[in-house]
Amino acid sequence: MRSSMKTYYWMVVPAVAIFFVFHTYPVLMGIFYSFTNWNGLSPDYDFVGLRNYLNVFRDGNVLDAYGFTIKFALLTTVIVNTISLVVAMGLNARIRLKNFFRGVYFLPNVLSMLIIGFIFNYLFSNVFPDAFERMGLDSLAFNILGKENTAWIGVVIVTVWQATAFNIMLYLAGLQTIPSDLYEASSLDGAGKWREFWSITFPMIAPFFTINMVLAMKNFLMVFDQIVALTGGGPGKATMSISYLIYTDGFQGGSFAYQSANAVVYFIIIVFISVIQLKFLQRREMDLG
Amino acid sequence: MNKKWTTFSVCVLTAASVAGCGAGGTGGAKDESAAGKQVEIQFFQYKPEARGTFDELIKQFEAQNPNIKVVHNNPPDASTVLKTNVARGDVPDVIAIGGDNVYASLAQSGVFADFTGAPELANIQEAYVQMIKDVAGTDNAYAIPYAANANGVIYNKTIFKELNLSVPKTWDEFIAICQKIQAAGKLPFYFTFKDSWTTLPSFNAIAASLQEDRFFEKRKAGQTTFAAGYKEIAEKYLQLMQYGQKDLFGKGYNDGNVAFANGESAMYLQGVWAIPEIKKANPNIELGVFPLPASNDPDQNLLVSGVDLLVTMSASTKHPEEAKKFINFLIRAETSKTYIDQQKSFSAVKGVVQEDASVSDLKPVIEKGAVADFPDHYIPSSMKLDQLLQEAILKKDADGFLKKMDAEWDKAQKR
Repeated sequence: MRSSMKTYYWMVVPAVAIFFVFHTYPVLMGIFYSFTNWNGLSPDYDFVGLRNYLNVFRDGNVLDAYGFTIKFALLTTVIVNTISLVVAMGLNARIRLKNFFRGVYFLPNVLSMLIIGFIFNYLFSNVFPDAFERMGLDSLAFNILGKENTAWIGVVIVTVWQATAFNIMLYLAGLQTIPSDLYEASSLDGAGKWREFWSITFPMIAPFFTINMVLAMKNFLMVFDQIVALTGGGPGKATMSISYLIYTDGFQGGSFAYQSANAVVYFIIIVFISVIQLKFLQRREMDLG
Repeated sequence: MNKKWTTFSVCVLTAASVAGCGAGGTGGAKDESAAGKQVEIQFFQYKPEARGTFDELIKQFEAQNPNIKVVHNNPPDASTVLKTNVARGDVPDVIAIGGDNVYASLAQSGVFADFTGAPELANIQEAYVQMIKDVAGTDNAYAIPYAANANGVIYNKTIFKELNLSVPKTWDEFIAICQKIQAAGKLPFYFTFKDSWTTLPSFNAIAASLQEDRFFEKRKAGQTTFAAGYKEIAEKYLQLMQYGQKDLFGKGYNDGNVAFANGESAMYLQGVWAIPEIKKANPNIELGVFPLPASNDPDQNLLVSGVDLLVTMSASTKHPEEAKKFINFLIRAETSKTYIDQQKSFSAVKGVVQEDASVSDLKPVIEKGAVADFPDHYIPSSMKLDQLLQEAILKKDADGFLKKMDAEWDKAQKR
């Protein structure tokens, strides 16, 4: 073995080993426990076969959580991608203070979601209601996180505010790969801005669009920190996301094995959605290319 | 040379990261020989309000026992942390938690040492020992009850005096007081349902007096349902909501403590544990506590008082002697007195009396024994009673709530 090869092995093997011990092994254990009735504490447990899986599909709480999470993920993915594409195009144009604005728009990505959540929590419960009251809009002077039918809006707002930064960055990188002579040619042909966007800009950043859609969707399906910091799944169970349900019910509710089964189902669903998205969007990339 | 350095640094980095992960986990129960070496015991407790008090007590204990070092551990979301630690097989030596369903599940799993018949229990009030046996459904006591709390109605004495109100003894009087306060343009209750757990104290207070005897045993045996046994409770609970502020779900517990301290409401449906926090916000407030009169028969009205803190020991501790020494120090009368003075709770240790003016109204009630344990300690935590209550309040739907309670109870039993 050449000595340089040896170095590479030294770089790779420990990482794989650590990954296996701290990631793959727990996943396998989780799958194992999902076939038992372990409550997370007691020294002994029994195998129950597929009972947990059957109960998951019959559990109203789990189904409600799936409903909320999927609706939330779809909506947020669309909003985040629309906003970040528009902002990225603005930041890519020749404007004054371009670097300053880029910094400002990237800032939310640096902050921890929990901190953002607690700040917004304060805004929603104190600042906004007081402001609306002073403006005389009494019907709006309430904490939107405190109502079953509006709490999700608060979660969407905060999530979009934080997540857009990362997607802007990816779109910006995409936009910079477009050669400027394409635009010169199109302007000589007399194409309008709208035409230019659909015929040049959008097709050229298709791969970036794909990765943004897939990453955003996957992240929002696993929404957790936002829920912890903003609503705790409430009021009632209005904003109970699947990850948060798995965590609270599995660890605090003593249903470790049952929620392990839920987690396995959930994992399969996320993989399924991501594969479909990739297939569909990549085919589109080819068509556009 | 070059190659060697790479190899070496990779080794070091790997080792460091593995060690880093391990260090957080071990309970620090190292093997010291008995030869005068210092022994370290882990003390885990779940009350953030009591952190300062315990720091002080530990200092006293360490001064008396120079060869024992007590490591005080009070993480946020302590119940979950304790459960995950236990699941990993890492049980702290001395544990102080509430007499609730966390205690129940850990005691049933054999995590705690058995104190049945131990000399430590001789000096503890029998009612509280029975309470922790009932909560866990065990014949043995796997802990020593240490402090009890009380959960009723905290009221602002100044506002009560202004409006010429007296402490109510029956439900009708209680509602009449609410209406009088409202008529005077003041707020009867300040609710803080943004934090879902704050729906529980008032629910517990009503349920404890109105539920039939041994309700949960009967529910387990399938002889009754929530729909049958909890109807009045749910309706009275929802009736109280109309006396709250406009946006019941807008504020959380901390906001509520400050608002009540500043006189924004005449009453506050919380346990005595909120009093130190309220006094922090306004040291001059004159407040009192009375049991929530849920029934029109004064004799039926009970004060909710549960084991707020119990101390126990790991069944598998490596330092049983030292752990016992610390526990014995905690249950001494003067230690217990220091604790209840600072925490405004009631001692489970015989002969230690709470004399603070703010809770003096409760003293005769407790002496009479008109107390009942927290009903929600008997409800499995996977049911998420707090969220079900939030839902019931939002929908103003008692029947739907009771139906859900029954469905969730059955589901929890099946797992």
